[in-house]
Amino acid sequence: MTSSQENGDDTLDELLKDKARIEELSDDEDEDDSMTGPPFPGNHLKPRRKRKSKLHPQPQRKLLEIPPWIFDTNELFHNDVKTPSRNALDKTAAECLRFLTLLDIQGLPLNSHGLPHLRRKPHADFLRFFLGPLQTGFTAMDASRPWLFYWCLAGLSFLDVDVSDYKERLIETVRPLQNPGGGFGGGHGQYSHCACTYATVLALTAVGGLDVVDRKTMWQWLGTVKQDDGGFRMAVGAEEDIRGAYCAMTIITLLNLPLELPPDAPARKGGLTSFTDKLGEWVGRCQTYEGGIGGGPSNEVHGAYAFCALACLSILDAPHISIPKYLDIDALARWLASTQTTPEGGFAGRPNKLVDACYSHWVGACFALIEAALPGMKDGLWNKAALQTGPQGGMRDKPSARPDGYHTCYSLSGLSAAQNHYWYDSKSNTTDAGSGRLLAAFNWQAKRGTADELAVLKVDEEDVVALIHPVFVLRLEAVEAARRKFEAGGL
Amino acid sequence: MPDHAEDEAKYYDDPEWADIEPIQQADQGPNPLAAIAYTDEYAEAMAYLRTVMARDEKSERVLRLTKDVIEMNPAHYTVWLYRAQVLFATHADLHKELEWLNETASQYQKNYQIWHHRQLIVSRLCPDPASSAATRGPPFPGAGIDVDSLVAKETSFVASMFDKDAKNYHVWSYRQWLVRHFGLWDKGELEFTEASIEKDVRNNSAWNHRWYVVNGKEGSEGVKEEKVREREIAFTKRQIRLAPQNQSPWNYLRGILRKANLRFSTVQDFCIEFADLSKPEGDDVFSSHALDLLADIYAVDEGRNEQAKRCLLLLKDKYDPIRANYWQYRLEMLDKEMGSGIDSHLPEHETRNLTSAVSV
Repeated sequence: MTSSQENGDDTLDELLKDKARIEELSDDEDEDDSMTGPPFPGNHLKPRRKRKSKLHPQPQRKLLEIPPWIFDTNELFHNDVKTPSRNALDKTAAECLRFLTLLDIQGLPLNSHGLPHLRRKPHADFLRFFLGPLQTGFTAMDASRPWLFYWCLAGLSFLDVDVSDYKERLIETVRPLQNPGGGFGGGHGQYSHCACTYATVLALTAVGGLDVVDRKTMWQWLGTVKQDDGGFRMAVGAEEDIRGAYCAMTIITLLNLPLELPPDAPARKGGLTSFTDKLGEWVGRCQTYEGGIGGGPSNEVHGAYAFCALACLSILDAPHISIPKYLDIDALARWLASTQTTPEGGFAGRPNKLVDACYSHWVGACFALIEAALPGMKDGLWNKAALQTGPQGGMRDKPSARPDGYHTCYSLSGLSAAQNHYWYDSKSNTTDAGSGRLLAAFNWQAKRGTADELAVLKVDEEDVVALIHPVFVLRLEAVEAARRKFEAGGL
Repeated sequence: MPDHAEDEAKYYDDPEWADIEPIQQADQGPNPLAAIAYTDEYAEAMAYLRTVMARDEKSERVLRLTKDVIEMNPAHYTVWLYRAQVLFATHADLHKELEWLNETASQYQKNYQIWHHRQLIVSRLCPDPASSAATRGPPFPGAGIDVDSLVAKETSFVASMFDKDAKNYHVWSYRQWLVRHFGLWDKGELEFTEASIEKDVRNNSAWNHRWYVVNGKEGSEGVKEEKVREREIAFTKRQIRLAPQNQSPWNYLRGILRKANLRFSTVQDFCIEFADLSKPEGDDVFSSHALDLLADIYAVDEGRNEQAKRCLLLLKDKYDPIRANYWQYRLEMLDKEMGSGIDSHLPEHETRNLTSAVSV
């Protein structure tokens, strides 16, 4: 990656125009995304400038041992009929190969195994840049500024940067985003929205600033988006999808809001009394014939929605109880494993789509959750080493894309999932007897990979990303602080 | 996008808006995070929008204001939701709205809001297609619409969006809604999926849509019905033969077998076309997915556990080493004869899940 400081003026300008990410979910990837008008996801996929590598003469280097999936298997099946998908897949593989084989290291400093170091400072500088004053091109992010707070502050904390200094600034910034009726919108005067509220609450959790949240009105507002069928709308009158289910349960659990629906919640008319009523069943309806999870019932499988489903169920109860209760776990395990791509080693969001670094988190983080629910699990379901050798020279979708806050945050989380261990402590309580809070999501334990394991991954100690909570995607300490802060419950 | 910064104040000087006291963005402290340098025009329009929303004004001029904001920032979910309310309250011409959306959607394809908005508009135009929509419906321009012509326009517009991006998630979701709302199950939709798959046999979105068209109708048996199942299996096999290493139709085939409660061994001969293990070294493999399915077929049959193991080992060591951990897990499950990870028997909960997943 290239930090803003290292870029020349022209690339900095491009960065500014490239309004990072507007959606939570990366969904733009195919080659033909020619857009006019304001910057929009997909715009950045066309390589527009020469690589900077000529500024950094590449030393003659010996190649590392090439893992078998990079060349061997890619050759085995390629006598298939060519279609637009096949062409796009081949183009991406070709684009990534020079980095996978370390033919091109982009002038990056290398660790003791010959892989590029995780460059903490440039990554941190890059994230700080998006927290600073932003140029006019970012107007397209005006309804999703809370995501910038979350991606950047969480991402910085994953790099072990102390973000508590941002507490006062963040509190002042988000105060006008909170609506009198509860919840946070994308900006002053915007409707409260599950994604904006989730991102704001997480960012506040990261800096220890949750006092600014009005918990009572938050509870009342969430009551207005809970649906009769068990799911959640993203905002009043907006679409119902599985992001709403995960975001709402995250907010409720971190803030220890009552599970009981507010008296005037419309879903009460449908016979529901609790936020959790029919929720597991609704999540179950999002699993399709392919084994993966769609954004809503019958929609296509998608890696990011798989994470929302598993994380939501892992809030409702212990994963080995709630996941098999509502999902066909074997079919889901097969589907999740199938999303790791050859030869790149990263993950694609859907079958026959292209590898994208953000799915290192969306799919990578699923494995800790589902492995905790599979009997007899020993060595994990996925190839952690392959993710490490992926195009790590930037926190961006793929080499021809430009970096952004979204991909930086979620690539770091994906690396953490590969480098560290996460397991569920099934002996702990899943409900708090006093406040009624769901505790399952707080029972996760984590430890750093051992020296031997890191060596297998070809990672140096200094390249290890912080321990990240597998359900809430924040540092573990930040989650623990929120658990303690609202232990008493009530409103 | 025009350079709004150079424009004059649009609302402040307009007598039509003289009664509005714009609400400026609230103070965010001395050093707000990720503060955006809005153009004057955007900041002005937002200030007027805050005021009219606070007053809950629903009028013709608010329609113009919301359109103005959307054109400057189409990802602004609030303004879309508010605009829908204003359109309905003012009995605006919803056909015109659709025309405008057509232009806008082509420009901003990756946008959650625009498709939800479109769905609101179309369902308002035709809330209940089944009950003679030509005469019923709320009293506003557009009531008494020709349902068939509306459906034709919508499906062809959606099809044109797929020419730009054949896998656009929001557009496929909207297409599913059209099928559900207007009951298009038997009205050329299957042929539409076939054409989409013909264009790109690896388009997984098109496969998912086909599953929906075949199995999604409430009360329908889908592939549980023999005639439907035979047709779908034959179709899928044809597509697999075109590109054996294509995950989409293999997933579809598994889905059929499971939903219809068929033993996987019914496709054993078909799998062997792509993975003939009678050849030495396991060299005759054209599809890792065929090996995977064969492993499941052999695993149910106790006498052939060794063959199942061989399939999994070939996957792990040769044909799909990126997933070595997963195949290793399957091998261990096989050894334990726990049955987990091997979908042979169709435990009841699996069938239940898969069935409920499609009966919306």
